[in-house]
Amino acid sequence: MKTSLRSMVRSPMVLVTSVVLTWFIVTFLIAPNVGLLATTFFPNGEFTPRSVDKLLSSDRAMKSLGNSFILAIVLAVTVNIVGIFIVLVTQYFDIRGSRILWLGYATTLIYGGIVLVAGYKFIYGQNGFITNLLLNYFPGMNAEWFTGFLAVVFVMTFASTSYHMLFLTSALNKVDFQTIEAAKSMGASTLTVLWRIVLPVLRPILFAITILVFLGGLTALTAPQVLGGPNFQTVTPLILTFSGSTTSRDIAALLALILGVATMILLAVMSRVERGGTYFSVSKVSATMQKQKITNPVANAVVHVVAYVLFVVYTLPILLIVVFSFTDSASIQTATLSWDRFTLDNYITVFTTQSAFEPFIVSVLYSAAAAVVVVGGLLFVARILQKYKNAATTVAEYLLHIPWILPSTMIALGLILTFDRPNALIGGQVLTGTVWVLLVAYIIIKIPFTLRMLKAAFYSVSDSVEDAARILGAKSLYTFRRVLLPIVLPTAAAITALNFNSLLDDYDTAVFLYSPLYEPLGIVIKNSTDGDNISDAMVLTLVYTVLLMIIMGLSMYAVYGRSVTSRRKKRPRALPEVPDQPATRVGREPQPDDARVTVR
Amino acid sequence: MIRYENIEVSFDGFVAVPNLNLEVKEGEFFTLLGPSGCGKTTALRTLAGFVNPSRGEVYVDGKRVTQLSSDKRSIGMVFQNYALFPSMNVWENIAFGLKVRKESKADTERLVADIAAKMELTDEQLNKNISELSGGQQQRVAIARALVLQPKILLLDEPLSNLDAKLRVQLRGQLKDLQSQFGITTVYVTHDQDEALTMSDRIAVFNKGVVEQVGPPEQIYDSSSTEFVCNFIGDINVLDGALIQRLNAVSMRKLDPAKSSYLRVEKVGLARDLVGAAAVKVNGRVTARSYHGMHSRYTVDVGGNSIKTLVTENGPRALHLGATVDLFINPDNVLQY
Repeated sequence: MKTSLRSMVRSPMVLVTSVVLTWFIVTFLIAPNVGLLATTFFPNGEFTPRSVDKLLSSDRAMKSLGNSFILAIVLAVTVNIVGIFIVLVTQYFDIRGSRILWLGYATTLIYGGIVLVAGYKFIYGQNGFITNLLLNYFPGMNAEWFTGFLAVVFVMTFASTSYHMLFLTSALNKVDFQTIEAAKSMGASTLTVLWRIVLPVLRPILFAITILVFLGGLTALTAPQVLGGPNFQTVTPLILTFSGSTTSRDIAALLALILGVATMILLAVMSRVERGGTYFSVSKVSATMQKQKITNPVANAVVHVVAYVLFVVYTLPILLIVVFSFTDSASIQTATLSWDRFTLDNYITVFTTQSAFEPFIVSVLYSAAAAVVVVGGLLFVARILQKYKNAATTVAEYLLHIPWILPSTMIALGLILTFDRPNALIGGQVLTGTVWVLLVAYIIIKIPFTLRMLKAAFYSVSDSVEDAARILGAKSLYTFRRVLLPIVLPTAAAITALNFNSLLDDYDTAVFLYSPLYEPLGIVIKNSTDGDNISDAMVLTLVYTVLLMIIMGLSMYAVYGRSVTSRRKKRPRALPEVPDQPATRVGREPQPDDARVTVR
Repeated sequence: MIRYENIEVSFDGFVAVPNLNLEVKEGEFFTLLGPSGCGKTTALRTLAGFVNPSRGEVYVDGKRVTQLSSDKRSIGMVFQNYALFPSMNVWENIAFGLKVRKESKADTERLVADIAAKMELTDEQLNKNISELSGGQQQRVAIARALVLQPKILLLDEPLSNLDAKLRVQLRGQLKDLQSQFGITTVYVTHDQDEALTMSDRIAVFNKGVVEQVGPPEQIYDSSSTEFVCNFIGDINVLDGALIQRLNAVSMRKLDPAKSSYLRVEKVGLARDLVGAAAVKVNGRVTARSYHGMHSRYTVDVGGNSIKTLVTENGPRALHLGATVDLFINPDNVLQY
């Protein structure tokens, strides 16, 4: 039912929230994008297509654009092949040790972004463990073999299967097993059932995942920057380079706009497909999925072998990072292991040397502050948007989704260009170059996911609970504080943890906005990958990586591990779901578009 | 006690209840009965104060309450899903309203203990989480939470619909007993005619936002005043004009063959004395039989009319498919609209 604006702002809480929200939307969601457009097309106050001309005449920029699209297309194929395979072997086929395999494949949930890329470079790079191993057998081989297009595709393929682990697994487990039994009873083979019954049902989710992977490839920053080498440059690293100089900022802005437009188009297509093509089970009593045996012994053996080879590919970097983090720098540099070289010195250094633990503290503070502010603020906003339906709340909700349809590069660039001079919207202050601009960016990019989750949490509370409080005499603020908030608080805490996790090792946004005085972890880790020799910074990176994995693993367990118990006993939580073994789930349906902001 | 006067309720232009006029007497168990979307819950929520009528007034105890907030109407409500607060335990749920009213701690303790005893909730149960209770226990907590504030009226919005069939029948009796024990005026919403017939003092049958009939269960069932009520309540046979003319040819009572004619299933007998001396014999062929344990239900083709009849297991068992059988229909039992 519609609520009039006047009756809405009668509540002081709503009024204050609305004023703050309006200011935030205008200042940080609208103005930066307007600023970006202005820089691109109106650099001197008048329209000029100069940036387009500059772009078209820049071979480097055009080649990078082409490379980005090639990368996106190739990843759409490779990630789907690997992603579908790992989901099938852990969830669909009866494969020995599938729980172990699942743990190996799920490592990308706690280990991604710059940390993952640095880890792969550490293992496969010029002085990496695997490269050294290979050189022993093939002394003539090129030690710099792990660079360029193939290296980027390899790393990004394994980094991007998180989408499949989260959303394809969830969708697969919702396939009604009775449809499989029905097909089998009519004589269909295992392969026919998979091909004709199961995969067609998963087609919409696979399409959505493909678009997300495509977008990931298109806007990739870390992997091309670290592993692309001189022959494989893509758009986002180029935007970063161009944005550093005032003479090329307009090309950077134009490239960011191109990425933004491509993202918007693809997400619009995805939404359309999601709306029109999701298959729901029509069964009133759908049966849970049971694992299928591969009856052909040869096929069974091949699938087992490939599954375990992939397991090694997924886990080897992590295993070696953990092991080498406990060795001295000589061992790390020579990629050799020996018992007498094991030490805790690297950990002691990280915890006792200010310069070593400072990046950690910086990242923890940024992530925690952004996670708490965004959840705390949006608790009120989500409640208002859920409770009041009118034109103002609808427009506000759309505007709050701006960060969802724009790549983080564009958001960062918009902030740089808009707040690099005194701006009346923020009291005449300059933000660019300060410690605050990165916090603002983190808050912005976490808004859509947080809002969707919190709104879902509020919607999951039955209206009659609120009615019950009302008829028992509770006023609206009392009901919010005593009844609704305690119900949505577990979800809010979980969202805070997920937001914290995904920001902790951020590089893509930080690289545009960080203050040199307070380098976050992502920047330090990236810097450690520069150059050919393993530096002391790389040694610290190994320790950082282990610590990050522990923190992320613990918070994932706190969010999802405990929710398995709560599924049995307590209320459901509105969260994007991580599959567990065996998969049992309650709560909000996972949305593939959540992945844009949750999957690392 | 409760009076709806010319109530109109609309949602975004859709008129859910066009003109409701209804009275509920003090101490009555009054049921709003009807199919989904008929306006019965809207009527209940209007009384509760959750829905603002676009026209008309609601009176409680002669006092106009239309503009009063729901907590000022002295009404307790049990919701369809009970709406228990999941973040609070049983005791906290029951005490919620008392805390909002800022009752003293001692009074709160006493009142909660008092209502818990009446609702047969143990101390152990009072300390439990809501999720640890069975459906029946949750219902008792929801009733306790509503009654602890000692309201004048208790509203029950399909409180049995989430329970399994056996528990539903069991709790019907308990609800009715509670109502008698507390003597509280109760307005009950349901789409289940059995619930309505077995529990209510009076029933209002709703259809498309309009009350079609108000009366005691027996009156609603035996003398349904509209075709809708006749169809909605119980199980009926439809008699065509030709069959009515066959009855008219023999019977003293003349029915109008042009009208829609209905006959309740149990009013069709295999013997004259089962349905009255004025019954007319008609002849037909058994086309279907379904076994229901205590009785069987036969369908007999009488001149193109599928006439259903109930036969108890103590009755004649010789009927078999295709057999020719005599049926007795008393024209006095035929309902015409």
